[in-house]
Amino acid sequence: MAETVLSSGEKIFILHGIDAILSFLQFCNYKADFRNDGRRRCEYRSMEIETKLMPQTHGSARLHIGNTDILVGIKVELDIPHADKPNEGKLEFFVDWYVILLMVIIVVIECLVFFINFQIIIFSATATPAFEGKGGDDLATEISNVLTAAYQTRNAFDLKTLCILPHKKCWKIYVDVLILQCGGNLFDAVGIAVKAALNSTEIPKITAATLDGGEPDIELSDDSYDCIQLDTNISKERNFVLYLKYEIYIGDNYIVDPTLEEEVCSTSSIVMSILPNGKISSVVKLGYGSIQFNTFTKMLQMGEIIGLKLNKTLMDVLKEETQFGRQRRIFGFLK
Amino acid sequence: MPVDQRRINGPEVSVPYHIYSDFDKKSDKEKHDFSKRSDKRTDNEMRKIFLKTGIVSQAKGSAYIEIGNTKVVCSVFDPRELSNKNGYCMQGEIYCEFKFAPFSCQKRKIHQQNAEEKQYSLILQRALEPAVCLHEFPNFQVDVYVMVLDNAGSSLAAAIMAASTALANAGVPMFGLVTASTIGIYGNHYLMDPTDTEEGICNTQPDNEDDFNHGIITLASLPQHNQISEVFLIGSIDTNTINQATEILTAANKDICPVLQQCLVKTIMKLHNEKK
Repeated sequence: MAETVLSSGEKIFILHGIDAILSFLQFCNYKADFRNDGRRRCEYRSMEIETKLMPQTHGSARLHIGNTDILVGIKVELDIPHADKPNEGKLEFFVDWYVILLMVIIVVIECLVFFINFQIIIFSATATPAFEGKGGDDLATEISNVLTAAYQTRNAFDLKTLCILPHKKCWKIYVDVLILQCGGNLFDAVGIAVKAALNSTEIPKITAATLDGGEPDIELSDDSYDCIQLDTNISKERNFVLYLKYEIYIGDNYIVDPTLEEEVCSTSSIVMSILPNGKISSVVKLGYGSIQFNTFTKMLQMGEIIGLKLNKTLMDVLKEETQFGRQRRIFGFLK
Repeated sequence: MPVDQRRINGPEVSVPYHIYSDFDKKSDKEKHDFSKRSDKRTDNEMRKIFLKTGIVSQAKGSAYIEIGNTKVVCSVFDPRELSNKNGYCMQGEIYCEFKFAPFSCQKRKIHQQNAEEKQYSLILQRALEPAVCLHEFPNFQVDVYVMVLDNAGSSLAAAIMAASTALANAGVPMFGLVTASTIGIYGNHYLMDPTDTEEGICNTQPDNEDDFNHGIITLASLPQHNQISEVFLIGSIDTNTINQATEILTAANKDICPVLQQCLVKTIMKLHNEKK
């Protein structure tokens, strides 16, 4: 993970806030758990989310949580189905880094505003050493693997809805995740952003799909606004996308939504994805430490509760956003 | 991904012919007959394990494991110094590489690691890290290479056990042994140590049932310390079922541990007798 150097004193401060102070206060019959930014253990930072902000994509979302900044763009293209799964479409995840030190941006902004994008690309690899070369690659693989695992079951995403003509044509959805800034809790942020982006994805409507002498022939609707919203496509009311949740385990206690500093202090963490129906579609342990069986069970239960709550809130917010319709003002990066 | 020019990679697009065979045309019911398993095991029964160390003479430590038809070989090499890119590293590192042999699965694998193998490498690394005293060899890296010769299910669990035995065989300081096992979940069935066909079945959800538990859990643990070192779950399973499954898996991991210990004792005894 990103290089944040903390002294042992700082680490102890963070750990005791979560762990030791709690037991002392419990003794005084005073319930509180403190984290260094004033949150409780199972509390999230506030999030900002915006969907459909990139005109060239079929669906997009930008998520801001703490200092973490994620941009997800979804592209839909035509492809040939896999031979062993002739009536299923394809879904692929790609994760990319554009990590920059805050200092670099400030310097660039002062020089010339127009060059920001250009400069970001140049500085991206050199800014944080941990992301350079293999280290960053590993984490990017990890994130895309976890996403692939989470969306694998039919309960999460029914690939059959992406099929146009069995054996011949299907939709392929490319989910490209761009990490603009890393302020901890990447897995959650990416999970939520991907969910929001998929939720806003519109697939062009196909008016006719026929086989002409063995060759597929596809006709698209002339009206470019004539699209199918991805989730209404699904027969059941249940939403296909889920969301990933990240719990990090410090000392004997566990917390959600860790900041970068808290991630440095932790030895191991559990990433789990929860479906809207309360089932768990993937669990992976990360970090070099091990976990006790009891803690693992407790984390799973807590994860389920928080996951369902967060899922509901997110869906409500997204619904509210769509109610603004096409007149909605897009903020993008001008804020 | 760059293609290695020196290797002949075979035709670009080819598919195994099995997908056109009659098996896939059978109805789901026939395929998912769980009243008995194909190898006459009960649901809770594991396949027999064969474990041997010192199989690769070039490596510092090595192990070969067979679980039923799954065959995995692992070699561990001497620690080597880390290239000093980030300065001095207080903790040592383990580097793991997991690879399916090109002929090990039903579909041929190419020589480069694919996404699944890369993920398994990372899982393997995280399963082993809690067991190894990383502070004992600062700024050094131990390489662990795992090759699956034959994949008949639960190959990740087999790889983890082979790697932990090979590490012990190589004399790498460790807190304890890592054992791992896999369970497949399909509805009410808990299939211990699934074969590759059973894994395939557990990964797919039946067409007309929505509220259905299915999936695969691989759990690696340190039985001597009662700790979980890695969990990898995929599918769609509710929390209670996961809890039950992890209990079964931790119990199984405890049962397997003596196999690894005996194998290591045998190696030491052999070495001792040779010296005499």
